Order: sequence, then structure tokens, then C-alpha cells
Amino acid sequence: MNRIPAPHPIREIAALREKSRPLGVVSAAVGGLALAVVLGGITFVFAKYGIRREDRIAAALQSRELFTILVSGGLLGAGAAALGFGTYRRMPTRVSREEAIAGAVLGLQAAICGLALLWFIQGDMERFARNFLSFEQIVPQYGAFLNGARNTLVLAGAGEFFGVILGLVLSVFTISKRAAVRAPVRVYINLFRGTPLLLQLSLIYFGLALGLGVNMSAYTAAILAFSLNTGAYSAEVFRAGIQSIERSQMEAARGLGLGYMQSMRYVIVPQAVRRVIPPLMNEFVILIKDTSLIAFLGLSYAQRDLFTVGSQGYSQFFNATFYVASGLGYLVVTLPLIRLVTWVEKRLRSDLVGAGV
Amino acid sequence: MSRAANALVWPAGPVPAGVPLIRLTAIHKWFGNLHVLKGIDLDLSPGHVLVVIGTSGSGKSTLLRCIDMLEEPTSGHVWFKGRDITDVRVNLNDVRTHMGIVFQAFNLFPHKTALGNITLALEKVLHMPRDQARERAMAELEHVGLGQKAHSHPGQLSGGQQQRVAIARALAMRPDLILFDEVTSALDPKLVAEVLAVMQRLASEGTTMVVVTHEMGFAREVGTHLVFMDEGVIVEQGEPKAVFDNPQDERTRRFLSSVL
Repeated sequence: MNRIPAPHPIREIAALREKSRPLGVVSAAVGGLALAVVLGGITFVFAKYGIRREDRIAAALQSRELFTILVSGGLLGAGAAALGFGTYRRMPTRVSREEAIAGAVLGLQAAICGLALLWFIQGDMERFARNFLSFEQIVPQYGAFLNGARNTLVLAGAGEFFGVILGLVLSVFTISKRAAVRAPVRVYINLFRGTPLLLQLSLIYFGLALGLGVNMSAYTAAILAFSLNTGAYSAEVFRAGIQSIERSQMEAARGLGLGYMQSMRYVIVPQAVRRVIPPLMNEFVILIKDTSLIAFLGLSYAQRDLFTVGSQGYSQFFNATFYVASGLGYLVVTLPLIRLVTWVEKRLRSDLVGAGV
Repeated sequence: MSRAANALVWPAGPVPAGVPLIRLTAIHKWFGNLHVLKGIDLDLSPGHVLVVIGTSGSGKSTLLRCIDMLEEPTSGHVWFKGRDITDVRVNLNDVRTHMGIVFQAFNLFPHKTALGNITLALEKVLHMPRDQARERAMAELEHVGLGQKAHSHPGQLSGGQQQRVAIARALAMRPDLILFDEVTSALDPKLVAEVLAVMQRLASEGTTMVVVTHEMGFAREVGTHLVFMDEGVIVEQGEPKAVFDNPQDERTRRFLSSVL
């Protein structure tokens, strides 16, 4: 290998690389600064002008300050990106290379943000603010939104609760050795997984009322449909969780004289449940958003969910800010849940390390 | 819990004189096209330590698992205390409360503490009151030298400690015999010694054991009866020292010279 004598050129290259090391830090700093200028500047401008009234928002968007901030941030970002991408190949160490790349990426984000906003504020800002950010119309309606959020959570919570219980029971059938036991549950799961939730909702509410004279409130019908649907999905989640538990756990339990159902109940399912908590929570987040389908059933005032509140507000006031507000409402509920899922996943992973199974 | 009306009720009390604790007759086991056990006949009397040795894939573990019916023999009969437990009417859960099994990979329940691993079957199978179960579990943990680890989870224990908890878990059921399936194979040499020491003490206390092992020293010193298996048949059996010092069959000789 090492047959090349006296590697002078290599030493020179090493020295050159050493020289470019500070550029990595510089590009990281400039890139970070650029992004800070863009994001901080936007916050600053809105803080100065205020966001309570649509004309102030429009004024902020068209202000000289915002223009200056976006141009300078964008230029800084472009500079950082050029510097970082230009130098990262000749960095002497992995650390300095990562600095250069970080600077380049941050700078690029600042430049793209700045440019996109610059392009956007050339449009009709008064119209934009009036239609999407007219929060003074929302504020008087906050009670309706709170009620909507509550209804959404109750619908999703009840659907998830009954669905998970149903799913746990169904999953035990799906892992039976006996095909005759598995088959009907498989049919159920595939029917509910293979058709749209909206269709299931309509069949249960309109179909049962028309066809069989079963009249229930839209609310009851929705909880029923959500439960049956979630049952099918969480049955699959539980099945995967149960099958992920090592066969030897069942053997150890049976070897002690525990029966099959006892082994499931005391040994397999408790371990499986721990493993499926994150996917079940994800299902819950999905269900929270899917509750919006209840809008198609036609709801009384008090029954309205978050989406219906937003959508009826839109029809009434002809202003899209109601949709924006309803979207923000969903985010207030789902973002903490999504964070929680990540946290639980991490906790469970560290708990299971070296579990000796 | 009431079982099916025609289920055979397990006989309590000691084994009648002259009846072996375990009797295997003409056991064959097929896994698909693989003929793993080719006609095994074996008797085991109470108080004996039966050691099974042989090359990997010779069917030792399968044989052991057939004794408590974790593997069902394709043909042949397993008699436990004079009763054929391959009979479909036999409640295997009852049979297994009288037999303990310890596995190569420990197979402790990771979501339960050492104590909880032991009390589970005491409470749910033997229907012991909680306090009594905990008391007996503590005693068994002390017995294997792990009293101070009662509240640790398996993940917090070394391999040797986990295996000793697994042995305590089997012992706590006060079984008529304990099956050991290569219980030291997953341990490093230092931990092997602590597990073998526990097993040796059990043997000296008169526990009936079937031990599948690669530990030839243990087989020779602790075993009261030795079985050498090769390709699904028992090639040679007898008093351990006699087999080790004077193997009759060519295959036994070759195996022993390769491992000693």
C-alpha cells in the first residue's frame, strides 16, 4: 500500500485543508444568523404592527421593514450557502465539514424563506389578510371553537376507547391456529379497512335509519362508526404486537402450567401492549382528524365538531379565517400528542434495551 | 375452573412403587420431512439425574421438550407417574405444574421483577394467596442466592443471575422433576459455574432432573444416568463414569474424544 515515498504533496494538501477550517465556522455562523434575521425579523415586524386587526397585518406585510429584513436575510443566507457548499469538501475534519454543511443548509433555508415571502408580498396583501387572517371575526366566536374542540375530543376519545377494546378482543381471534376462528374476524377487519370511513359513517347513520328504521343521533352513529373502524385497525396493530413477542415467552408460560388464555393475559398481552402504545397513539391522532367527517351527517349547533364550526363560520361570514382557526385548533390538540408519541417511543425503547428476551 | 367432564384428574401423592416417574416408549418426532427422534425408549425413576449428551442436532432438546409436551411426539407415548400424557383427555396444564422446565435463553418475563416472575404461576396456577406466594418466591430466590435481587427486572440482571431466577421459578412450583435444556450454553464461563453450582446442589438434595448439556464435567460428576444420543437415537446409556471411561460404541468414542 504505502509505496509512495516522501508524501510532500499530501502534507501541503493537509496544510491547505487546515487553512480552510475557520470557513466552516464562519458559514455556520452566517447561515444561522441569516435564518435568525428572517424568522426573528418577521416576528419583530408583526409584534410591532400587531396581528389583532387585518389592516395592521396587511400593513406589516407591506412595510419597508419587512422588505429590508427579507432582502438582507435572504442575501446573507445565499452567501452562507455559497460559502458552505463551496468549502465543505476541503475541510480537514468531519466536525468542520459538518459545520460547513450546517451553515450551507441553514443559509439555503433562510434564502428560500426570504425569497418566497418577498415574492408573496408583491401580491394583494389587503385581500389576503382580510380573507385568511381576519382574527377579529374569530375572537367573538371563541366559545363555539372551544365547544367544537371539546366535541372533537369526545368523539375521538370515545371512538378510540371502544375501538381499542374491540381491537384487542379481535386480535386474539386473528392469531388463532384455527382457520375457522380467524376467518370471520378477517372478513370484518378487511371490510372496515377496505372501505372509506365516510361510507361506513353514512351507512350506519342514513342506511340504518332508512333501511331498518334504526334512528340514532348523528353523535351516537359517529361514535359507533369510529369505534368499529378503529377496532379493525387496532386489531391489526395488536396482532402485530402480539406476534412480535418471542415464541419462547409463550413456551415459558405454558411450561409453568399456565393455560393458553392465562399466558396471553399475564405474559404476552402486557408485553405486546407496551410495544403497540406508540402506533395506537398515532391511530388516535388520525382519528382526531377523521372525526371531521361527521360534518356530512348534519349536526345540531351544540354537536358541532372543530371542523364543522370552522366550515359553518366560513359559509356564514364568507371568510376563510374560520378554516385557518379550525386548523390551528386541530394543531393545538395534535401537536402535543405527536410530541408525546415521540417521547413514549424513546422511553419504551430505552426500557427494553437489555431486557434479556 | 372446571375442566371438561371427561378430563382425567391428575393423581396426587407419591408415585406408586415400581412405576417410573417418566417412561418414554417408541417416541418418534417428525418436523416436516425431518425425522428428529427415531424411536426413543427411556425410563426415569424419582431422585435420579438423567444427563443427555450428544452432538448438536442429535435430538436432545426435542426429546426434552417431548417430556413436558411442548413438542408433541408424532408417535409413541410419554408416561408420567404411570399415566399416558399423550392421551388427548389429559390436561397438560396440570401435568406441567408437576414438571419444571428451564431454557437455554432463560425466557424470563421481562415486564415482571424476579419476584413477579416466580409468583405469577404460584398465584394463577396453584391459586396461592399473594402473601404466601411472595414468601415462597423469596425463599426460592434465597435458595439460588438472589434474595437481594427480588425487585430487579430481568434486564437489570446478568445472564447467570437470570438463569438462576429461571431455576427458582421452576423450583417454586415444587415439581416432581425439572427439565434443563442446555441452560448454560448462553452464558460465559464465569457465569456457567454459578448456575452449575445451583444445579449440583439441587441434585444433592434429591431433585429429579433431566439435564441436556454440553458440560461434560457436570455430566460425569452429578449425573446418575447418562444417555448419549446421535441422529435421533440413543446410542449408548449407563452409569456416567462407566460410559465416559469405557465407551462401547464407536460413535460415543468419537464424540467423547472430540469434546474432552
